[in-house]
Amino acid sequence: MSREAGEIEQKYQIPTVALAGDNVVSFGLGAYFKDDSGMPLRFVGVPFPFAGQPQSVAVKYVAGKDMVSGKPFMQAVVDALTTPLTPEEKLSGPAPGSAAPERRMLAPDTPDHLQSLFMARDWTDYNPVTLPTEEKVAAMLKGTSHRPDEVIKSNSGTFGSHRPFTVEKVATVAVMAGAKPEYLPIILALASRVPYLDSTTSIAQMIVVNGPIRQKIGMNSGLGALGPDNEANSVIGRSMTLIHKVIQGYKEGVTGFSSLSNPLRYDNLCFAENEESLPDGWEPLHVQMGHKRTDSVVTIFNGWNFINSTGWAAQHYAPQLLMRDYMSSLSGMGATIIMDPSVAELLQSVQGFKNKEALGEWLSQNVEKTAESYWGNSIVASMLAPLARQGLKPYADWLNVPGKTAIKPFTNPRQIHSVVAGGKTASVWFATDFGPSGGGISIDEWS
Amino acid sequence: MDRRKMLALLGVSPAVIAGTPSFAGTAPAPLSAAAGCESESMVSVLNPGIETKLANRVPLAPRLSTLHGKTIYLVDFDWGGMQENGGVLKAMQAWFAQNMPSVKTIYKIKGGNFVTDDPGLWKEIADDHGDGVIIGVAG
Repeated sequence: MSREAGEIEQKYQIPTVALAGDNVVSFGLGAYFKDDSGMPLRFVGVPFPFAGQPQSVAVKYVAGKDMVSGKPFMQAVVDALTTPLTPEEKLSGPAPGSAAPERRMLAPDTPDHLQSLFMARDWTDYNPVTLPTEEKVAAMLKGTSHRPDEVIKSNSGTFGSHRPFTVEKVATVAVMAGAKPEYLPIILALASRVPYLDSTTSIAQMIVVNGPIRQKIGMNSGLGALGPDNEANSVIGRSMTLIHKVIQGYKEGVTGFSSLSNPLRYDNLCFAENEESLPDGWEPLHVQMGHKRTDSVVTIFNGWNFINSTGWAAQHYAPQLLMRDYMSSLSGMGATIIMDPSVAELLQSVQGFKNKEALGEWLSQNVEKTAESYWGNSIVASMLAPLARQGLKPYADWLNVPGKTAIKPFTNPRQIHSVVAGGKTASVWFATDFGPSGGGISIDEWS
Repeated sequence: MDRRKMLALLGVSPAVIAGTPSFAGTAPAPLSAAAGCESESMVSVLNPGIETKLANRVPLAPRLSTLHGKTIYLVDFDWGGMQENGGVLKAMQAWFAQNMPSVKTIYKIKGGNFVTDDPGLWKEIADDHGDGVIIGVAG
């Protein structure tokens, strides 16, 4: 909304008031203004939450105080449109008061003091970091052929603010996370995709690695693949958390406002696909996305939910039936099933799913939920209800049916993915709403 | 049913649920020891910090001298999608009608959804000589 308000102000020179809940107004007045837009928009604020409230509450808000200025709300609106601009609001060109460029080295200090400094600067996940001495960073850089001063990306901050970073900076973060040099190509590939998707909701990321590098660096795709039981999985996952904080500059309450956040963000669900245990006809994820089997590829997923099968596959109720049941609680905007190889074998040999795509097709045709539950998800409602009102099918039809009508929310079977991992000690699986963010990223290009 | 028997039927070892003695008996190591550091020595390390370059400043449009006789657009940018946040904008529209009746208000819902732009609407407002815009509600 800040973007649209800025466009109306700048392109059409029409005075505009931006109206926001007090949960996000400080972001519009703070980081978004300073780092991204440069335009000191005039905001008025209402208490949060405002959606889902009866009209009487909206009337009360408008009759109450503006959460930004403390003035009577409508007086603040009128003032925002009519009070002459201040000198600050008339400024154009380079912003005054830019910080001095960061020096390459920190001042020498004791390790304890440096650990405290890293915490104070939020360069940590609050587990101890390995201090990035020149020797350790130089050793880390041996993990890539890229020059240390190569700029990977400039617009790396949240919403694309200008935070240029180099290969050396990523190597520094990799040392902090405890990585080995041979992990660096994956970590560089992950860094090439900042800024990561953030939200006031509890969105999280997932990292899936495919190709020969899995075995070369000892990633775990087997027994305990999703647990804290493997150095490469654990450290590469942690690296992404530190990239998010150190390179992207994510800080709760400043550049992001995730109300509950998500414990998956500690390690970003980092694991490798068990390609060696795929049933006949089931291709690895990266091959499905158009890469060669001999390519090493990392894929970043975004999502919220991670539903555990809890028990193992039962003889009296085929795995796809329980997947179907559990997936009815997901939004329908995409899904990834993470399954043990034994589940994949059952699905292929007993249930007749010749490939992953066939399973996605079946789930797309068989997962159902009520229309009212579908629209009850605010992400779905925000993204699709406006388009439904504008006539987009099948969503337009689903707006007008009785609430209890069963609909098939997964309209696109290609958005239902399967990844196989695990050690065949239980026929277990997870149904998630994680979906790939862009295509897979070549790791080989960062070797 | 006996808890131990029930866990066994579920395929879970009671020992797993009981936990390990280390949870209760071992104090966490001091930070410096956990990080493998000696606090008395001085070390030089690379600076992980990245300076965010402040965005170039863009001035606001000049403000109106008065709202009397002006046309103000109230634009619902459709966050939430079910027109729930339009309630605040409609309450504002009612306030104008009652308290500043010379102000003409026009309520519009932005096209697309909350993450897409609607340049056609901004042009329409400009072409229609809209004097001011109130856009929201973000949350």
